[in-house]
Amino acid sequence: MEIARDLLLDPQLWRLIVTMATPLILAAIGEMVMERSGVLNVSIEGMMTLGAVLAFVVTFQTGSAVTGIGAAMLGAGAMALVLAYFAITRRVSQLSVGLALFVMGLGVSALVYRIAIGVRLTPPRVPLLPQVPLPWLSDLPLLGEMLFRHNALVYLAVALVPITSIILFRTPLGLRLRATGESPRAVDVLGLPVFGLRYGASLVGGILIGVAGAYLPLAITGSFSDGMVGGRGWIALMLVIFGRWLPGPIVGGALLFAYVEALGFRLGMVTKAIPPQFLLMLPYLFAVVVLVRISRGAQAPRALGAPYHRESRT
Amino acid sequence: MSPARNRFTQLAHAVLYVSLVCWSLCTTGPAAAGTPGVKMGMILPGTIQDSDFNTLGYVALQEIQKQLGVTVSHSEQVAVADAERVAREYLGSGHTIIAFHGAQYLTMVQKLASQFPQASFIIISQGRSFPPNVWNITRRFHEGFYPLGVLAARVTKSNRIGYISGIRLPDFISSLNAAYEAVKQYNPKAEFVYAFTGDQNDPVKARQAVEAQIAKGADVIISALNLGVLGIVEAARAAKSPVLVTSFYTDKSSLAPKVFLTSLTLDFGRPYLAIVENILKGSRGGNFDMRPGHGMELSPIANTSPEVAKEVQAVFQDVARGKPVPEILDKVVAP
Repeated sequence: MEIARDLLLDPQLWRLIVTMATPLILAAIGEMVMERSGVLNVSIEGMMTLGAVLAFVVTFQTGSAVTGIGAAMLGAGAMALVLAYFAITRRVSQLSVGLALFVMGLGVSALVYRIAIGVRLTPPRVPLLPQVPLPWLSDLPLLGEMLFRHNALVYLAVALVPITSIILFRTPLGLRLRATGESPRAVDVLGLPVFGLRYGASLVGGILIGVAGAYLPLAITGSFSDGMVGGRGWIALMLVIFGRWLPGPIVGGALLFAYVEALGFRLGMVTKAIPPQFLLMLPYLFAVVVLVRISRGAQAPRALGAPYHRESRT
Repeated sequence: MSPARNRFTQLAHAVLYVSLVCWSLCTTGPAAAGTPGVKMGMILPGTIQDSDFNTLGYVALQEIQKQLGVTVSHSEQVAVADAERVAREYLGSGHTIIAFHGAQYLTMVQKLASQFPQASFIIISQGRSFPPNVWNITRRFHEGFYPLGVLAARVTKSNRIGYISGIRLPDFISSLNAAYEAVKQYNPKAEFVYAFTGDQNDPVKARQAVEAQIAKGADVIISALNLGVLGIVEAARAAKSPVLVTSFYTDKSSLAPKVFLTSLTLDFGRPYLAIVENILKGSRGGNFDMRPGHGMELSPIANTSPEVAKEVQAVFQDVARGKPVPEILDKVVAP
């Protein structure tokens, strides 16, 4: 019974799961918006790292987390526009330019940190985002602690689910965006701006990915280190497929992944029979297994990754 | 232009160029005192901005340049697979002392030392047998972590102590075992839990691991992480009941003064300076033990009673004077 409580029912565990799932949700929803318009972005890891370093450095220098998050949004948004320019206007392979931007993002982040912070014997630290307990809800037993005493970015991530669902599936803008990802020629024939829609989706996606990166130093660690994104950008890419390009299932996948990640450390405390190396591998093994199972039948936007040529006859 | 004027112009240019060259040679700074022409390269596994292990290596390198006049260079974030190439580039450009600042480069040193007998190599490792042109720095972590175990044993109120490290290297296994032995001796009722996160520098993973230990009641965390300790600090700050933390390499107590007990600080300047001095005098191989009192110190102990602080400092001095601490490198003895 104690094991079941430790692994399933502990409010602290679920609180940690929500905390750790938030950057995955933000990044995956950002990527989903881009992919729905037909733009494949494999530079999420680089964008998140850039968002993390800008958020940390600007917050450290200015004392304002809001300014730091704004800087992260600007930086990652700019990077997304670079991707969009090469992918949409220049029609370069989206995979190639994404990978190049991924590497560039990591390098630029290290450089920014080196220039802004320098060499110190005491690592710099910024205060974490404050908790914002929701009135009345935060007093609920168990659920209050698990779900309603988090920082503002957690609530933003949760709010994104209905917001993006409504915009994508209940508004003309969403319809056009999805149509751009399925059949850009049909959108073009109607006189709607295919490039404009894709650029807009890329910018919005990049901004959300920047916020996801900012979350790591400002809400979890209070610091920046080069590898702190730790593969979460790639997990976000996987979550979009897992969620079949829908916001709700993406959140479910993010919570599931965060649970398996936390489970590894809890299982290691409960039993020594499982090799710790296996427990560290567990979240990624889970990602591969689930992805193989779930992605059968998953239908990506038909024009995903394909540059649009107005002049072509087919 | 007439031929005579042309020749005059050419001669004027030649005089100007020669003058410039002579001027630059004359204004070159004086040769480094005592060690003209000696070049040393350091290969680091991480960034020198980590305010931790790599920063300490870089600081030691700067001290070598300042005190011994050796010309120094360094390469950061060198993966093990790239280390040989980087080392060969240093050797090819006239560097006669190559320092590998990390135990992960051990096999590289053993290979290169035999191929380049005229160069001197420095490595940090638990290795025992080396070619004659290799200096080894042994970090006797078990001796440094034993007093931390004593401190944890005395300070814990919940009788549950956590230990966190990243990679299962012999260094960290020995530190875990030594801390466990200390807890067993000084507080037999206390339970000792441990975790390896897989990454010395990932504060996000570290926070997850420590939150699991705190959820099980741990109120003292002994950290053997590098940058990952920053995640531990945040987990301790967020805990509902007081959790105290130790760290190592550098004193990080200014990050969260109410959370830190102490730090086991390491000063790599001491061994590196001593070794390079020896190399310059002709002693090209040997071993330097970094241990309590020799490059390892305890930062001031806080957040506990003066009696406990005094007892732990006394244990630390006993170990420095030679009190034996078991060193078990190959397996974790804690249950």
